[in-house]
Amino acid sequence: MVDVVSFLSSWLTLFGIYAILALCLDMEVGYTGMANTGLVSFFGIGSFVAGYISLTVFLSFFGYSYPIYSLDAVIAIGKISGSNPFLSIGVFLMSLVVAFVVSGTVGYLVSYPTLRVGPAFLGITILSFGEMLRIFMKHFTPTGGSYGLLGIPGPFGWVSEPSVKAVLFLALTLAILATVYLYFQTLSNSPYGRMLRSIREDEVASLCMGKPVPRIKAQLLFVGSGISGIAGSLLAFYQGSVSPDMFTTAVTFEVWSMVILGGRGNNRGALVGAAIISLLGWSSSALNFYLPGLVVDPNYIRWMLMGAVIVIILLYQPKGLVPEKPVQTKAWSLFETKEEKGILRKAETAVKRAFSWLAGRSYK
Amino acid sequence: MGAILEVKGVKKSFGGVEAIKDISLEVQKGSVTGLIGPNGSGKTTLFNVIAGFYKPDAGQVVFDGQRIDGLNPNEIYNLGLARTFQNPRLFPSMTTLENLMLSPKGQKGESLLKAPLKRLWVDEELKHASEVQELMSKIEIGDLYKTTVADLSGGDTKMVETSKGILGGAKLILLDEPTAGVQYVSGRSVFEHVNMLRKEYNLTFLVIEHRIDLLFDFTDYVYVLDMGEVLSKGKPQEVSKNPEVIKAYMGGA
Repeated sequence: MVDVVSFLSSWLTLFGIYAILALCLDMEVGYTGMANTGLVSFFGIGSFVAGYISLTVFLSFFGYSYPIYSLDAVIAIGKISGSNPFLSIGVFLMSLVVAFVVSGTVGYLVSYPTLRVGPAFLGITILSFGEMLRIFMKHFTPTGGSYGLLGIPGPFGWVSEPSVKAVLFLALTLAILATVYLYFQTLSNSPYGRMLRSIREDEVASLCMGKPVPRIKAQLLFVGSGISGIAGSLLAFYQGSVSPDMFTTAVTFEVWSMVILGGRGNNRGALVGAAIISLLGWSSSALNFYLPGLVVDPNYIRWMLMGAVIVIILLYQPKGLVPEKPVQTKAWSLFETKEEKGILRKAETAVKRAFSWLAGRSYK
Repeated sequence: MGAILEVKGVKKSFGGVEAIKDISLEVQKGSVTGLIGPNGSGKTTLFNVIAGFYKPDAGQVVFDGQRIDGLNPNEIYNLGLARTFQNPRLFPSMTTLENLMLSPKGQKGESLLKAPLKRLWVDEELKHASEVQELMSKIEIGDLYKTTVADLSGGDTKMVETSKGILGGAKLILLDEPTAGVQYVSGRSVFEHVNMLRKEYNLTFLVIEHRIDLLFDFTDYVYVLDMGEVLSKGKPQEVSKNPEVIKAYMGGA
């Protein structure tokens, strides 16, 4: 029997983390047209930064001098992680901030050479950067090499009941997701969002209208990578351990498929896509757990399913489940006459739209 | 009157091809100056040099008393020099309104830090919107505000492109074949609008155009380019009688 609370909290926590990533990617790919194929590296940097900081701070606060990746450290952390609520939450908040700054800065630095060589190069350079970073981390002893970091103390280590702990962490994740969503939503409905979409539509024309395109792209990579770093640190605190092999290129493409499925250039779409794909991911690992001894490992079917989803969506609903709508900024209100604003007029338009949709035509 | 744009001895070559051998020209403030020449004569390359896409190999471009060769296209736009493209480059899946609202320069809401705080930019946004509304009714496209640009007619697209420069506070607008892809009769109305806007907003235009009848009626001065050089210049009526021009442009008399 599947425990409903634990199902919901584990699925929703993963959904929260991936939705933050999908929102970032949507901002970069969907709104601005920058093919960020190295999202996972910023995600990974965020989780390693969070793991490193929290382990170091905890160990030094209690006067231990073990290296953070040693077995002694893991044992010591087990004893002290729940002893000081203020320290736990303080370290958590600090890790989020540092993860944002470090991932963002790396994103900004990566953007510097790549934005000057054109979009295709951006894709391939960031992709290989992510892989190189992963291989480097596998051989980098101060963060535990290929074993990574273990026993990362979470913000709610002082709560003894595991299900309460899970729900508290879930609430925190969803609160951060809501903040990120609101931030991106206001951004995309502002003149800044309009400018981002103009870059996606035609970079040269945007440059011709006085928009400093390379600078905007670098800014956006800073913000997007930084927030991906926050998602990464949430993952580190949620799982309690990080290792380089968690951050393969497949993760990037998982987030890409969320954006494709949900609809690009559309924050709501990113959430829908993240919900569906993370449910797919959760259920395949749950199937593996509850129905052991299947002939085919469900985790492999999951990748096939994801591929099938992308192909089907691109064939039949290329704009995604939630297609992008023209943004009605404040300027719009000057143009709409009173009639169009009226509720009857709106109802009429809705009916017309429904009919033309049924007839298979698009309404204008 | 005085020259708003001066091109002095500009040269530009791509590999071994000399697209512009040596061109000097002046555009008087408040005029509509025509630029004609056969294919490959360097018209669009010259536009690209003026607008900052290419750096000239030699020579200077002076706009409003300031050297602009070597600046980036966005900096040149912000100085007040806008351009259009032969194949209109608007933002196709965005509405006409959104396209035009992008033009005003230095918008507060376009900074990453101010954008999330609506009250910092909303007044400015409404002010720009009313300017857009006024201009759209002047060029008779007021009811097309929520049409995506991809669905506009050829003539309307050209007008939207021209309006963008005006909203950006441009003093000089480079028009690259404003009547290409526009039906014969509407071509005249494009130029009538250009003329109207010139008076209304004190603008100067430099126009690449192939239709001699329109050049006769609407331009003050014409430069004829051939093989990257100025072949002839003068009033359109004089230039069209020049036998060299007839030979280069019409393929012999």
